[in-house]
Amino acid sequence: MPDRERVLGGMMVSLRGERDALTPRVLSVEHLTKRYGPRHAVDNLSFEVGEGEIVGFLGPNGAGKTTTLRMITGFLAPSSGAVQVRGIDAIAKPKEARQHIGYMPEGVPLYPEMRVYEYLRYRGELKGIPKREREDALDRALAQAGVEDAVERIIGHLSKGYRQRVGLADALLADPPLLILDEPTSGLDPNQIRGIRELIRGFAGKKTVFVSTHILPEVEATCERVVILNQGRLVGEGGIEELRASAGQEVGFVASGDRDALQEALIEAGLRDVDVFVDGEVLRGRAKGEGVVSEKVFAAAGNAGAKLRELKPGSLEEVFAGLTQVGPDWRDDKKKRRKGRATRGEQE
Amino acid sequence: MSAIAIAKREVRAYFSSPTAYVVLLAWVYVTGLSFYLLMSFSASQDSVGGSDNPLTLFFGGTVLFWLPVLVFAPVMTMRLFAQERATGTLEPLLTAPVGEWAITTGKFLAAMFFWIALWIPSLFYVWIVTRYGSIDAGAVAASYLGIFGIGLFYMSWGMLMSALAPTQIVAAILCFLVHGLFFVAGIGQFVYQGEGREILSYVSVWTHMSDFARGIVDTRYLVFQVTMSALAFVLTTQVLAFRRLRG
Repeated sequence: MPDRERVLGGMMVSLRGERDALTPRVLSVEHLTKRYGPRHAVDNLSFEVGEGEIVGFLGPNGAGKTTTLRMITGFLAPSSGAVQVRGIDAIAKPKEARQHIGYMPEGVPLYPEMRVYEYLRYRGELKGIPKREREDALDRALAQAGVEDAVERIIGHLSKGYRQRVGLADALLADPPLLILDEPTSGLDPNQIRGIRELIRGFAGKKTVFVSTHILPEVEATCERVVILNQGRLVGEGGIEELRASAGQEVGFVASGDRDALQEALIEAGLRDVDVFVDGEVLRGRAKGEGVVSEKVFAAAGNAGAKLRELKPGSLEEVFAGLTQVGPDWRDDKKKRRKGRATRGEQE
Repeated sequence: MSAIAIAKREVRAYFSSPTAYVVLLAWVYVTGLSFYLLMSFSASQDSVGGSDNPLTLFFGGTVLFWLPVLVFAPVMTMRLFAQERATGTLEPLLTAPVGEWAITTGKFLAAMFFWIALWIPSLFYVWIVTRYGSIDAGAVAASYLGIFGIGLFYMSWGMLMSALAPTQIVAAILCFLVHGLFFVAGIGQFVYQGEGREILSYVSVWTHMSDFARGIVDTRYLVFQVTMSALAFVLTTQVLAFRRLRG
């Protein structure tokens, strides 16, 4: 999908320019690389996150998201590249940089034998919160993460949803400007997912959030902007609305009639990348263009004497699939979409 | 400050697991048995005096002291880092704004706390001896100093092995190997007659302890123990830093 990449690439540049003028950078990653022998887990990754932004870090499983987050938080040292947190070099001064980060690692590892308040008190002490402020910080984090009713409980007895919230409370404890959350909703039930998403959305404008996920609806529901990673490389970056708009420039359809006539009419209507093929009794196809593409397709179908049965604007999912799959084939899209919907159903 | 927090958490975690009580119970049973054996041996002798008194024998004069120490020390240190790695809690620990030194200090303080806790019941045996005879208070104090020194050495190397090993069992085995190596090297001074015998006796924990138990405080031994534990301490911080590089 070279066209899509070009569109996103162009957008990437324009968005970055705009943001720099508006907001200071809280997180900046430059040419970050992690090699394991000959394999590049993360390859020359660069992106920025501005103050108060909620940015999704999207990519299929194994794309290198967790490795990237671990390098930002200092759990792993990069092979090369730079990370800056609020202007502090996180590789040269990891302790200082970590003071500005609230990190919730993947799977939220906690000590099962401790009670919630014991754990958070310990974490507060570890994070160097002064003793007189510690209890206030604890109460605030508990309230923000919605775990007030579980403070007395033993972590090992908590449900997964509550454990995630305890992890979130820990990340919020020292009131850091930057929250880094690694797959915060993985393994949760739909209600818990909704709860965590609302929490994250609530940080908009107050905190900078960089949240990784492999689930697209998650990003759509919570983030303003997205950084897309595939096989360790940056494959796309942009605002959700822009991505959605660019996806809307592509329309898929099902019609009946003459294939060649329809194809010609679509091209005549000024649409690009027109592809129509016969699928049993119907015609399936897609086309790209400027403006309201669906109207043009509708008109072209009329001109060609074809009858439209379905008209579907492209979705964010298709953009994501196009960016993260090697050689995606339109003819598989129907199947893919069905599968996508199934996963979405599970997650919601 | 953070080191204290880490030590406190470690101690609390240890004592909220059944392991602590099983270890303590087994330890009290084994050392109690050894104390009983040494007491009845002394009671059966016509004259007991000098350095053959039961307390001196108890604190390092016999293999009855070393067997439990060599078995229990690795069990006490194996969990320090290996468990955190296995459960993943090492990640929040290492990504908190805390340096490697603070983490290592905290873990080490906790290990020393366990080690000292292990020897508290032995005060009861000292008390028993005072009831039926006289004790050499200086020698008893020197014995406890020796135990503290051995503790520095054993706990720090156990901590290093726990930082290196992927699992607790491997940590315990590696630790047992290190302690066993020094122990056997120390025994070597009795069989080996060539050059370097001095070195063997210098590293022999058995020699250290039997001297301390007789009331001889040899600063060379203390220097050895402190140096060895400082080395393990530095190496542990390096292992933690190296793990960040390797992932």
